[in-house]
Amino acid sequence: MKQVFKLNLAVKHAAVFFASITLLFQTQAYAEDVWTTLQKTAIAARSLNYSGIFVYQNGSQLRTVQIVHINDGTNEFARNTVMEGEPREVYSKGKDVVIIKPKNDKVVMEKRHGQNLFPAILPSSLDTIKISYSARLGVNEAVSGRSTQIIYLESKDNYRYNYKLWVDEENNLLLKMMLLYKNETLEQVEFNQIDFINNPKSSSVQPKIDVSKSYVVDDATQSSHANGGNWQISVLPPGYRKIDQIEIKVPNKNVIVNQLIYSDGLAAVSLFIEPVSKGVRPKTGHITMGSTNMCANVNAGHQIIVIGEVPATTVMEMSKAVSFK
Amino acid sequence: MKDQLSALIDGEFELTNAEYLITSAKSSGDISQCWAQYHLIGDIMRGDNTMPPNFKARVMQTLEIEPALEKLEINKVVKISDIKDKSSINFTKKSIITSMPIWSVAASVTAVMFVGYMVLQQNAATSELAPIEIAQSLPLEYLQAHHNAAPNAAAYYMQAAYAGSAVDSKQK
Repeated sequence: MKQVFKLNLAVKHAAVFFASITLLFQTQAYAEDVWTTLQKTAIAARSLNYSGIFVYQNGSQLRTVQIVHINDGTNEFARNTVMEGEPREVYSKGKDVVIIKPKNDKVVMEKRHGQNLFPAILPSSLDTIKISYSARLGVNEAVSGRSTQIIYLESKDNYRYNYKLWVDEENNLLLKMMLLYKNETLEQVEFNQIDFINNPKSSSVQPKIDVSKSYVVDDATQSSHANGGNWQISVLPPGYRKIDQIEIKVPNKNVIVNQLIYSDGLAAVSLFIEPVSKGVRPKTGHITMGSTNMCANVNAGHQIIVIGEVPATTVMEMSKAVSFK
Repeated sequence: MKDQLSALIDGEFELTNAEYLITSAKSSGDISQCWAQYHLIGDIMRGDNTMPPNFKARVMQTLEIEPALEKLEINKVVKISDIKDKSSINFTKKSIITSMPIWSVAASVTAVMFVGYMVLQQNAATSELAPIEIAQSLPLEYLQAHHNAAPNAAAYYMQAAYAGSAVDSKQK
């Protein structure tokens, strides 16, 4: 009788073991599927040819943006025309992004770095964001008349925001996204209209030039790449790594300011270090402005300012991570 | 426009419109000069050390070079008792008038230095290095630099000053 009982117990244990193993493999496969879909989403935004209109919402502010995106097989072009507020166009070719704004009798151009224009918010390689975010599938929903799969990109800690993504089930293009923090929506972007282009022409994404106006480059903040310094950064919030360091000349300041840029693959943080000028009141404290947090403190005669589209905790910890040699 | 620039520098201007002003300031020579002048005044008021170390020497050098002609004429004024030809008196009056710029420059420099000195002294008497809350003095130039290097959607689609004012901000 005892042997039969032991046999039954062993069978039960084995069943539980195999069920656990099966569940583990299924979970891993499921997670891989989600990341595979996200990888396709990252590629789709850059490889597909499309035009449409999306609405960007930040707090109470709304902007309607007309987008044309062309990939001719060699180059990738996009033109984003902001249809409300101050007129402006965002023109990109590959990683080069320029904001073009008419101002009175001139047109002002501002250079930007990066390649994270909606819907291409995901980096080409997702390895970095896998470290800091977990991904899971949600339900299906329709966006702009197209069927989408909801995917949640959730922070593994409190050092970054969460993302809710609506991915086109047919071609994996990102059609809608929300930036979330503690159930509060900080930003939302959503296509109201989307068309896929069969015969793309790069001329359709050329910026409109107003020949009656002179074009000027807004280079008020001059910068150059740099390395090292008389400081060291101790423990950073997990997942953030330095992607660049530049020296900038801030208007109306005599000192060179060092700007260290950190990213977790999606969110970016700038850490500014400069000696406190004699007679200048240094800044301290913290302020939240929508999705952006700023923190300032003084350390060993240096002004530290940290700015990023990250939670307050992140900028505060980064500002305390600086020490001087 | 100049009043608005002044208000902006003093932190009394609506930040949603600040970008327009700043861009205008950069693109217009006159306004740019006003902008620089306002900042110079603001720097002195705040106690920033913006005066170059050889400022006094450069002023004196300029004064030495510029009034070469006027010096000659001033000498004539000093020697008015020696004038024999009365018709040259008019010329002497003209000399005094033409020598006015040097006096106005000297008076201006003295006045600016005096005011600056008084303000600096006042700041020195108070706690000039006391930190200021970031909410009271937003580092918009750093926000701009951050957006230049790592732009977000707001940086692309909204005005540069947007992040400083368009959404609810809270100080913690």
